[in-house]
Amino acid sequence: MLNEYIVEPGVIPWRAGQLAGISFKCQILLNGADGGPEVLRFRFDDCPSVFAHMHLTSQFQLLLHGRMDFPKSTMKLRAIAVHYTDHNFPYGPFAAAGGHDMMVLHPKPGGLITMADRDARRQINLKGRHLYGTADDTHWELMREFNAARAKPLIPPRSGPYAIMVECEPHALIEVGGAAEGRYEVVLAGSALLSGHTLLPPGLRYVHGDESPQPIEVGADGATIMLLGFDRDAREGGMTGDRLSVAAAAAIERSI
Amino acid sequence: MSNENYTARPLPVVVFADFICPYSYIALDQVDDLVRDYNVELLWRPHWLHPEVPPSGAPFPADSAPQERQARTLAWLREMAPERAAHVCFPEKIQFSLFAFEALEFAQDRGLALPFKTAVFETLWVEGRDIGQFSTLQAAADKVGLDADELGRALTGQRYRQRVHEALQLARDAGVSKTPTFVLGRYRIAGWHYYEVFQTVMEKQGVPLRSALMAGFSPKKDGS
Repeated sequence: MLNEYIVEPGVIPWRAGQLAGISFKCQILLNGADGGPEVLRFRFDDCPSVFAHMHLTSQFQLLLHGRMDFPKSTMKLRAIAVHYTDHNFPYGPFAAAGGHDMMVLHPKPGGLITMADRDARRQINLKGRHLYGTADDTHWELMREFNAARAKPLIPPRSGPYAIMVECEPHALIEVGGAAEGRYEVVLAGSALLSGHTLLPPGLRYVHGDESPQPIEVGADGATIMLLGFDRDAREGGMTGDRLSVAAAAAIERSI
Repeated sequence: MSNENYTARPLPVVVFADFICPYSYIALDQVDDLVRDYNVELLWRPHWLHPEVPPSGAPFPADSAPQERQARTLAWLREMAPERAAHVCFPEKIQFSLFAFEALEFAQDRGLALPFKTAVFETLWVEGRDIGQFSTLQAAADKVGLDADELGRALTGQRYRQRVHEALQLARDAGVSKTPTFVLGRYRIAGWHYYEVFQTVMEKQGVPLRSALMAGFSPKKDGS
Protein backbone atom coordinates (compact mmCIF):
# COMPACT_ATOMS: atom_id res chain seq x y z
CA MET A 1 0.00 0.00 0.00
CA LEU A 2 1.18 3.50 -0.78
CA ASN A 3 -0.18 6.83 0.40
CA GLU A 4 0.80 9.84 -1.64
CA TYR A 5 0.23 13.56 -1.30
CA ILE A 6 1.24 16.18 -3.85
CA VAL A 7 1.61 19.86 -3.02
CA GLU A 8 2.03 22.76 -5.41
CA PRO A 9 2.76 25.75 -3.11
CA GLY A 10 2.35 28.25 -5.94
CA VAL A 11 -1.43 27.87 -5.81
CA ILE A 12 -1.78 28.05 -2.02
CA PRO A 13 -2.49 31.46 -0.45
CA TRP A 14 -0.29 33.10 2.13
CA ARG A 15 -1.73 34.40 5.37
CA ALA A 16 -0.18 36.83 7.81
CA GLY A 17 0.27 35.76 11.40
CA GLN A 18 1.66 36.96 14.68
CA LEU A 19 2.61 35.00 17.75
CA ALA A 20 4.33 36.25 20.89
CA GLY A 21 5.37 39.42 19.09
CA ILE A 22 6.82 37.54 16.11
CA SER A 23 5.33 38.46 12.75
CA PHE A 24 5.36 36.06 9.85
CA LYS A 25 3.60 34.82 6.75
CA CYS A 26 2.39 31.27 6.52
CA GLN A 27 1.12 28.76 3.98
CA ILE A 28 -0.72 25.63 5.05
CA LEU A 29 0.57 23.17 2.50
CA LEU A 30 -0.88 20.03 4.11
CA ASN A 31 -3.19 20.29 7.09
CA GLY A 32 -3.03 16.74 8.44
CA ALA A 33 -6.80 16.68 8.78
CA ASP A 34 -6.89 12.99 7.84
CA GLY A 35 -4.23 12.18 10.44
CA GLY A 36 -1.66 12.15 7.67
CA PRO A 37 1.20 14.51 6.90
CA GLU A 38 1.23 18.15 7.96
CA VAL A 39 3.34 20.77 6.20
CA LEU A 40 3.51 24.45 7.00
CA ARG A 41 5.65 27.05 5.31
CA PHE A 42 6.78 30.07 7.33
CA ARG A 43 8.49 33.29 6.40
CA PHE A 44 9.51 34.99 9.62
CA ASP A 45 10.30 38.67 9.59
CA ASP A 46 13.76 39.27 11.04
CA CYS A 47 13.46 38.21 14.64
CA PRO A 48 16.17 37.86 17.29
CA SER A 49 14.37 35.20 19.28
CA VAL A 50 11.67 32.74 18.23
CA PHE A 51 10.69 31.17 21.55
CA ALA A 52 11.76 27.66 22.55
CA HIS A 53 9.14 25.07 21.71
CA MET A 54 8.54 21.46 20.72
CA HIS A 55 6.15 19.46 18.58
CA LEU A 56 4.37 16.23 19.42
CA THR A 57 5.69 14.43 16.34
CA SER A 58 9.02 14.16 14.59
CA GLN A 59 9.82 17.09 12.36
CA PHE A 60 12.02 18.34 9.58
CA GLN A 61 12.62 22.05 9.15
CA LEU A 62 13.80 22.73 5.62
CA LEU A 63 15.33 26.18 5.35
CA LEU A 64 14.78 27.36 1.79
CA HIS A 65 16.15 30.87 2.14
CA GLY A 66 17.73 33.09 4.79
CA ARG A 67 19.26 32.02 8.04
CA MET A 68 18.43 30.61 11.44
CA ASP A 69 20.86 30.85 14.35
CA PHE A 70 20.48 28.59 17.37
CA PRO A 71 22.20 29.14 20.73
CA LYS A 72 24.75 26.42 20.05
CA SER A 73 27.67 28.20 18.42
CA THR A 74 28.07 25.62 15.67
CA MET A 75 24.40 25.61 14.79
CA LYS A 76 24.09 28.40 12.29
CA LEU A 77 21.77 27.33 9.54
CA ARG A 78 22.18 28.96 6.16
CA ALA A 79 19.89 27.92 3.32
CA ILE A 80 19.78 25.30 2.07
CA ALA A 81 19.73 23.63 5.48
CA VAL A 82 17.81 20.97 7.35
CA HIS A 83 17.06 20.59 11.04
CA TYR A 84 15.43 17.44 12.44
CA THR A 85 13.95 16.71 15.87
CA ASP A 86 12.25 13.63 17.29
CA HIS A 87 8.78 13.99 18.78
CA ASN A 88 8.59 15.98 22.03
CA PHE A 89 12.11 17.29 21.67
CA PRO A 90 12.47 21.01 22.45
CA TYR A 91 14.65 23.42 20.53
CA GLY A 92 15.34 27.13 20.38
CA PRO A 93 15.04 29.95 20.93
CA PHE A 94 16.46 30.77 17.54
CA ALA A 95 16.98 33.91 15.51
CA ALA A 96 15.56 34.17 11.99
CA ALA A 97 16.81 36.66 9.42
CA GLY A 98 17.89 37.32 5.86
CA GLY A 99 14.62 36.68 4.04
CA HIS A 100 13.73 33.62 6.06
CA ASP A 101 11.67 30.97 4.26
CA MET A 102 11.18 27.56 5.82
CA MET A 103 9.07 24.44 5.45
CA VAL A 104 8.05 22.55 8.58
CA LEU A 105 7.29 18.94 7.68
CA HIS A 106 5.65 16.38 9.96
CA PRO A 107 4.50 12.81 9.27
CA LYS A 108 1.28 13.66 11.15
CA PRO A 109 -0.09 16.71 12.98
CA GLY A 110 2.40 17.86 15.57
CA GLY A 111 0.90 20.94 17.23
CA LEU A 112 3.04 23.49 19.01
CA ILE A 113 4.07 23.48 22.67
CA THR A 114 5.88 26.45 24.15
CA MET A 115 8.51 25.46 26.66
CA ALA A 116 7.14 28.10 29.01
CA ASP A 117 4.53 25.40 29.78
CA ARG A 118 6.05 23.74 32.82
CA ASP A 119 3.79 20.70 32.62
CA ALA A 120 4.90 20.14 29.04
CA ARG A 121 8.50 20.02 30.17
CA ARG A 122 7.64 16.82 32.03
CA GLN A 123 6.75 15.29 28.64
CA ILE A 124 10.13 15.99 27.03
CA ASN A 125 11.54 13.04 25.11
CA LEU A 126 14.75 12.36 27.03
CA LYS A 127 16.19 10.20 24.26
CA GLY A 128 15.14 12.53 21.47
CA ARG A 129 17.49 13.18 18.57
CA HIS A 130 18.43 16.57 17.25
CA LEU A 131 20.16 16.54 13.87
CA TYR A 132 21.05 19.21 11.37
CA GLY A 133 23.13 19.91 8.31
CA THR A 134 23.69 22.58 5.72
CA ALA A 135 24.35 22.26 2.01
CA ASP A 136 27.39 24.51 2.24
CA ASP A 137 29.03 22.30 4.86
CA THR A 138 28.28 18.98 3.16
CA HIS A 139 30.37 17.50 0.37
CA TRP A 140 28.93 16.09 -2.81
CA GLU A 141 28.95 12.31 -3.15
CA LEU A 142 28.09 10.05 -6.03
CA MET A 143 25.26 7.88 -4.78
CA ARG A 144 24.49 4.63 -6.54
CA GLU A 145 20.99 4.69 -5.07
CA PHE A 146 20.12 7.61 -7.32
CA ASN A 147 21.55 6.50 -10.68
CA ALA A 148 24.96 7.85 -9.68
CA ALA A 149 23.57 11.36 -9.33
CA ARG A 150 25.55 13.79 -7.18
CA ALA A 151 24.06 14.08 -3.73
CA LYS A 152 24.74 15.80 -0.43
CA PRO A 153 23.68 13.84 2.64
CA LEU A 154 22.93 16.78 4.96
CA ILE A 155 21.66 14.24 7.47
CA PRO A 156 23.10 10.87 6.42
CA PRO A 157 20.88 7.76 6.43
CA ARG A 158 22.93 6.15 9.21
CA SER A 159 21.38 8.74 11.55
CA GLY A 160 17.95 7.09 11.20
CA PRO A 161 16.04 9.97 9.70
CA TYR A 162 17.81 11.37 6.67
CA ALA A 163 18.01 14.44 4.46
CA ILE A 164 19.67 13.98 1.09
CA MET A 165 19.90 16.69 -1.52
CA VAL A 166 20.11 15.10 -4.97
CA GLU A 167 21.29 16.96 -8.06
CA CYS A 168 19.60 15.35 -11.04
CA GLU A 169 20.59 15.54 -14.69
CA PRO A 170 17.99 16.70 -17.23
CA HIS A 171 15.47 13.95 -18.06
CA ALA A 172 16.95 11.58 -15.48
CA LEU A 173 14.69 8.95 -13.95
CA ILE A 174 15.28 8.65 -10.21
CA GLU A 175 14.02 5.51 -8.46
CA VAL A 176 13.46 6.40 -4.82
CA GLY A 177 11.98 3.19 -3.40
CA GLY A 178 9.37 2.71 -0.70
CA ALA A 179 9.15 4.75 2.48
CA ALA A 180 7.82 2.61 5.31
CA GLU A 181 7.94 5.51 7.80
CA GLY A 182 7.23 8.31 5.32
CA ARG A 183 9.32 10.55 3.11
CA TYR A 184 9.05 14.05 1.69
CA GLU A 185 10.52 14.82 -1.73
CA VAL A 186 10.88 18.57 -2.22
CA VAL A 187 11.89 20.17 -5.51
CA LEU A 188 14.45 22.86 -4.68
CA ALA A 189 15.48 23.84 -8.20
CA GLY A 190 14.52 22.96 -11.76
CA SER A 191 11.42 20.86 -12.28
CA ALA A 192 10.31 17.25 -11.95
CA LEU A 193 7.34 15.07 -12.69
CA LEU A 194 6.16 13.32 -9.55
CA SER A 195 3.16 11.00 -9.71
CA GLY A 196 1.89 12.76 -12.81
CA HIS A 197 2.33 16.31 -11.50
CA THR A 198 4.97 18.68 -12.79
CA LEU A 199 6.38 20.35 -9.70
CA LEU A 200 8.32 23.57 -9.55
CA PRO A 201 10.21 24.76 -6.43
CA PRO A 202 9.27 24.19 -3.70
CA GLY A 203 6.67 21.65 -4.81
CA LEU A 204 6.65 18.40 -2.92
CA ARG A 205 5.43 14.84 -2.75
CA TYR A 206 4.92 12.88 0.45
CA VAL A 207 4.96 9.10 0.20
CA HIS A 208 4.27 6.58 2.92
CA GLY A 209 4.18 2.81 2.48
CA ASP A 210 6.15 -0.24 1.47
CA GLU A 211 5.35 0.06 -2.22
CA SER A 212 7.64 2.14 -4.35
CA PRO A 213 6.14 5.31 -5.73
CA GLN A 214 6.54 6.22 -9.37
CA PRO A 215 10.11 7.27 -10.11
CA ILE A 216 10.92 10.98 -10.22
CA GLU A 217 11.15 12.17 -13.81
CA VAL A 218 13.46 15.13 -13.98
CA GLY A 219 12.58 18.04 -16.25
CA ALA A 220 14.49 19.42 -19.21
CA ASP A 221 16.63 21.75 -17.10
CA GLY A 222 17.51 19.21 -14.46
CA ALA A 223 16.45 19.46 -10.84
CA THR A 224 17.68 19.55 -7.29
CA ILE A 225 15.51 17.50 -4.98
CA MET A 226 15.63 17.13 -1.20
CA LEU A 227 14.60 13.73 0.17
CA LEU A 228 13.57 13.86 3.81
CA GLY A 229 12.96 10.41 5.27
CA PHE A 230 11.52 9.61 8.69
CA ASP A 231 12.32 6.54 10.75
CA ARG A 232 10.43 4.75 13.51
CA ASP A 233 10.07 7.90 15.60
CA ALA A 234 7.41 8.96 13.09
CA ARG A 235 5.13 6.40 14.74
CA GLU A 236 5.55 8.00 18.16
CA GLY A 237 3.70 10.88 19.77
CA GLY A 238 0.99 12.72 17.90
CA MET A 239 -2.25 14.32 18.93
CA THR A 240 -3.85 11.90 21.37
CA GLY A 241 -6.54 14.11 22.84
CA ASP A 242 -4.81 14.55 26.17
CA ARG A 243 -4.30 17.97 27.75
CA LEU A 244 -0.97 18.51 26.04
CA SER A 245 -2.40 17.63 22.62
CA VAL A 246 -5.30 20.01 23.10
CA ALA A 247 -2.89 22.77 24.07
CA ALA A 248 -0.62 21.95 21.12
CA ALA A 249 -3.50 22.03 18.66
CA ALA A 250 -4.79 25.31 20.08
CA ALA A 251 -1.36 26.91 19.84
CA ILE A 252 -0.89 25.94 16.21
CA GLU A 253 -4.41 27.14 15.45
CA ARG A 254 -3.66 30.51 17.02
CA SER A 255 -0.40 30.89 15.16
CA ILE A 256 -1.71 30.15 11.67
CA MET B 1 11.36 0.98 38.36
CA SER B 2 14.45 1.44 40.44
CA ASN B 3 15.93 -1.41 42.44
CA GLU B 4 17.84 1.05 44.60
CA ASN B 5 16.71 2.61 47.83
CA TYR B 6 17.50 6.29 47.66
CA THR B 7 15.80 7.00 50.96
CA ALA B 8 18.80 5.42 52.69
CA ARG B 9 21.62 6.73 50.56
CA PRO B 10 21.84 9.66 48.19
CA LEU B 11 21.74 9.39 44.41
CA PRO B 12 25.14 10.30 42.95
CA VAL B 13 24.92 13.30 40.62
CA VAL B 14 27.95 14.46 38.66
CA VAL B 15 28.04 17.69 36.68
CA PHE B 16 30.78 18.07 34.09
CA ALA B 17 31.21 21.75 33.37
CA ASP B 18 33.54 24.58 32.51
CA PHE B 19 33.35 27.91 34.32
CA ILE B 20 33.58 29.79 31.03
CA CYS B 21 30.42 28.13 29.66
CA PRO B 22 27.28 30.31 30.06
CA TYR B 23 25.05 27.25 29.91
CA SER B 24 26.95 25.76 32.83
CA TYR B 25 26.55 29.04 34.65
CA ILE B 26 22.77 29.03 34.44
CA ALA B 27 22.70 25.37 35.45
CA LEU B 28 23.73 26.52 38.92
CA ASP B 29 20.17 27.23 39.97
CA GLN B 30 18.88 23.91 38.70
CA VAL B 31 21.57 21.99 40.50
CA ASP B 32 20.91 23.95 43.68
CA ASP B 33 17.20 23.11 43.32
CA LEU B 34 18.07 19.47 42.83
CA VAL B 35 20.11 19.39 46.03
CA ARG B 36 17.30 21.23 47.84
CA ASP B 37 14.54 18.91 46.61
CA TYR B 38 16.18 15.46 46.49
CA ASN B 39 18.57 13.30 48.44
CA VAL B 40 21.51 13.57 46.05
CA GLU B 41 25.27 13.62 46.43
CA LEU B 42 26.62 16.26 44.08
CA LEU B 43 30.05 16.29 42.54
CA TRP B 44 31.15 19.12 40.23
CA ARG B 45 33.81 17.93 37.76
CA PRO B 46 35.80 19.79 35.12
CA HIS B 47 35.39 19.52 31.37
CA TRP B 48 37.85 21.87 29.71
CA LEU B 49 36.35 23.56 26.68
CA HIS B 50 39.42 25.46 25.48
CA PRO B 51 42.70 23.81 26.48
CA GLU B 52 44.36 25.68 23.60
CA VAL B 53 43.85 29.03 25.32
CA PRO B 54 46.92 30.40 27.16
CA PRO B 55 46.72 31.59 30.79
CA SER B 56 46.37 35.19 29.63
CA GLY B 57 43.26 34.23 27.64
CA ALA B 58 42.57 34.53 23.93
CA PRO B 59 40.35 36.72 21.75
CA PHE B 60 37.18 35.21 20.36
CA PRO B 61 37.77 34.15 16.75
CA ALA B 62 36.82 36.98 14.41
CA ASP B 63 34.86 34.63 12.18
CA SER B 64 32.66 33.60 15.10
CA ALA B 65 30.98 37.06 15.02
CA PRO B 66 31.31 37.52 18.80
CA GLN B 67 28.74 40.33 19.03
CA GLU B 68 26.09 38.33 17.24
CA ARG B 69 26.95 35.26 19.22
CA GLN B 70 26.67 37.18 22.45
CA ALA B 71 23.29 38.59 21.44
CA ARG B 72 22.06 35.10 20.61
CA THR B 73 23.29 33.70 23.90
CA LEU B 74 21.70 36.57 25.79
CA ALA B 75 18.36 35.98 24.07
CA TRP B 76 18.59 32.34 25.12
CA LEU B 77 19.53 33.25 28.70
CA ARG B 78 16.63 35.69 28.91
CA GLU B 79 14.21 32.93 28.06
CA MET B 80 15.77 30.16 30.13
CA ALA B 81 17.05 32.07 33.17
CA PRO B 82 15.73 35.64 33.13
CA GLU B 83 17.01 36.48 36.62
CA ARG B 84 20.56 35.44 35.74
CA ALA B 85 20.31 37.12 32.33
CA ALA B 86 19.44 40.45 33.94
CA HIS B 87 22.84 40.59 35.63
CA VAL B 88 25.04 38.71 33.22
CA CYS B 89 28.33 40.24 32.14
CA PHE B 90 29.92 38.64 29.09
CA PRO B 91 33.70 38.21 29.12
CA GLU B 92 35.69 40.08 26.48
CA LYS B 93 37.98 37.14 25.76
CA ILE B 94 38.08 33.38 26.13
CA GLN B 95 39.36 32.87 29.63
CA PHE B 96 41.75 30.24 30.93
CA SER B 97 39.96 27.68 33.11
CA LEU B 98 42.72 25.41 34.37
CA PHE B 99 43.62 27.41 37.49
CA ALA B 100 39.96 27.56 38.45
CA PHE B 101 39.74 23.78 38.14
CA GLU B 102 42.75 23.46 40.42
CA ALA B 103 41.17 25.82 42.90
CA LEU B 104 38.01 23.73 42.80
CA GLU B 105 40.04 20.69 43.86
CA PHE B 106 41.50 22.76 46.69
CA ALA B 107 37.98 23.67 47.80
CA GLN B 108 36.85 20.06 47.40
CA ASP B 109 39.46 18.93 49.93
CA ARG B 110 38.12 21.46 52.39
CA GLY B 111 34.45 20.54 51.90
CA LEU B 112 33.61 23.82 50.18
CA ALA B 113 33.59 22.85 46.51
CA LEU B 114 29.91 23.63 45.98
CA PRO B 115 29.84 27.19 47.34
CA PHE B 116 33.23 27.84 45.76
CA LYS B 117 32.12 26.82 42.27
CA THR B 118 29.18 29.20 42.58
CA ALA B 119 31.50 31.98 43.69
CA VAL B 120 33.80 31.39 40.70
CA PHE B 121 30.90 31.38 38.25
CA GLU B 122 29.52 34.61 39.67
CA THR B 123 32.94 36.22 39.74
CA LEU B 124 33.17 35.64 36.01
CA TRP B 125 29.56 36.03 34.86
CA VAL B 126 28.34 38.76 37.20
CA GLU B 127 31.45 40.70 38.16
CA GLY B 128 33.15 40.22 34.80
CA ARG B 129 36.51 39.29 36.31
CA ASP B 130 39.21 37.11 34.78
CA ILE B 131 39.32 33.68 36.41
CA GLY B 132 42.69 33.06 34.77
CA GLN B 133 44.14 35.34 37.46
CA PHE B 134 45.15 33.85 40.82
CA SER B 135 43.92 36.99 42.57
CA THR B 136 40.40 36.50 41.17
CA LEU B 137 40.25 32.94 42.42
CA GLN B 138 41.62 33.98 45.79
CA ALA B 139 38.91 36.62 46.12
CA ALA B 140 36.27 33.97 45.33
CA ALA B 141 37.88 31.64 47.88
CA ASP B 142 37.80 34.34 50.50
CA LYS B 143 34.07 34.86 49.94
CA VAL B 144 33.28 31.26 50.89
CA GLY B 145 35.63 31.05 53.84
CA LEU B 146 38.63 29.40 52.22
CA ASP B 147 42.15 30.52 53.04
CA ALA B 148 43.07 32.70 50.06
CA ASP B 149 46.77 32.71 50.87
CA GLU B 150 46.88 28.95 51.11
CA LEU B 151 45.05 28.73 47.78
CA GLY B 152 47.64 31.06 46.27
CA ARG B 153 50.43 28.77 47.42
CA ALA B 154 48.61 25.71 46.09
CA LEU B 155 48.17 27.33 42.69
CA THR B 156 51.74 28.55 42.50
CA GLY B 157 53.03 25.10 43.45
CA GLN B 158 50.65 23.41 41.00
CA ARG B 159 49.63 21.19 43.89
CA TYR B 160 46.40 20.08 42.22
CA ARG B 161 47.54 20.07 38.59
CA GLN B 162 47.87 16.28 38.31
CA ARG B 163 44.51 15.70 39.95
CA VAL B 164 42.84 18.08 37.52
CA HIS B 165 44.41 16.34 34.54
CA GLU B 166 43.13 13.02 35.86
CA ALA B 167 39.67 14.51 36.27
CA LEU B 168 39.78 15.90 32.73
CA GLN B 169 40.80 12.49 31.45
CA LEU B 170 37.90 10.97 33.36
CA ALA B 171 35.53 13.31 31.53
CA ARG B 172 37.04 12.34 28.18
CA ASP B 173 36.85 8.64 29.06
CA ALA B 174 33.22 9.11 29.99
CA GLY B 175 32.58 10.52 26.53
CA VAL B 176 31.67 13.97 27.76
CA SER B 177 31.58 16.35 24.83
CA LYS B 178 29.13 19.00 25.95
CA THR B 179 29.00 21.36 28.87
CA PRO B 180 27.23 21.04 31.08
CA THR B 181 26.74 17.27 31.09
CA PHE B 182 24.77 15.85 33.98
CA VAL B 183 25.03 12.26 35.16
CA LEU B 184 22.11 11.52 37.44
CA GLY B 185 22.42 7.92 38.58
CA ARG B 186 21.79 5.83 35.45
CA TYR B 187 20.82 8.79 33.29
CA ARG B 188 22.96 11.23 31.38
CA ILE B 189 21.75 14.59 30.12
CA ALA B 190 24.11 16.32 27.70
CA GLY B 191 23.64 20.07 27.62
CA TRP B 192 21.51 22.42 29.65
CA HIS B 193 17.97 21.27 30.29
CA TYR B 194 14.83 22.29 32.10
CA TYR B 195 14.56 21.49 35.79
CA GLU B 196 11.40 19.49 35.08
CA VAL B 197 13.56 17.08 33.09
CA PHE B 198 15.67 16.46 36.18
CA GLN B 199 12.49 15.89 38.18
CA THR B 200 11.37 13.29 35.64
CA VAL B 201 14.74 11.54 35.83
CA MET B 202 14.56 11.50 39.62
CA GLU B 203 11.09 9.96 39.52
CA LYS B 204 12.17 7.34 37.00
CA GLN B 205 14.82 6.20 39.46
CA GLY B 206 12.53 6.26 42.46
CA VAL B 207 14.34 9.09 44.20
CA PRO B 208 11.90 10.58 46.69
CA LEU B 209 11.48 14.26 47.37
CA ARG B 210 13.13 15.39 50.57
CA SER B 211 9.79 16.85 51.60
CA ALA B 212 8.20 13.43 51.31
CA LEU B 213 10.98 11.89 53.39
CA MET B 214 10.59 14.52 56.05
CA ALA B 215 6.86 13.90 56.13
CA GLY B 216 7.60 10.29 56.98
CA PHE B 217 6.96 8.85 53.55
CA SER B 218 8.99 5.76 52.97
CA PRO B 219 8.77 4.21 49.51
CA LYS B 220 9.08 0.50 49.06
CA LYS B 221 12.28 -0.87 47.68
CA ASP B 222 10.80 -1.14 44.17
CA GLY B 223 10.13 2.59 44.25
CA SER B 224 6.34 2.17 44.32
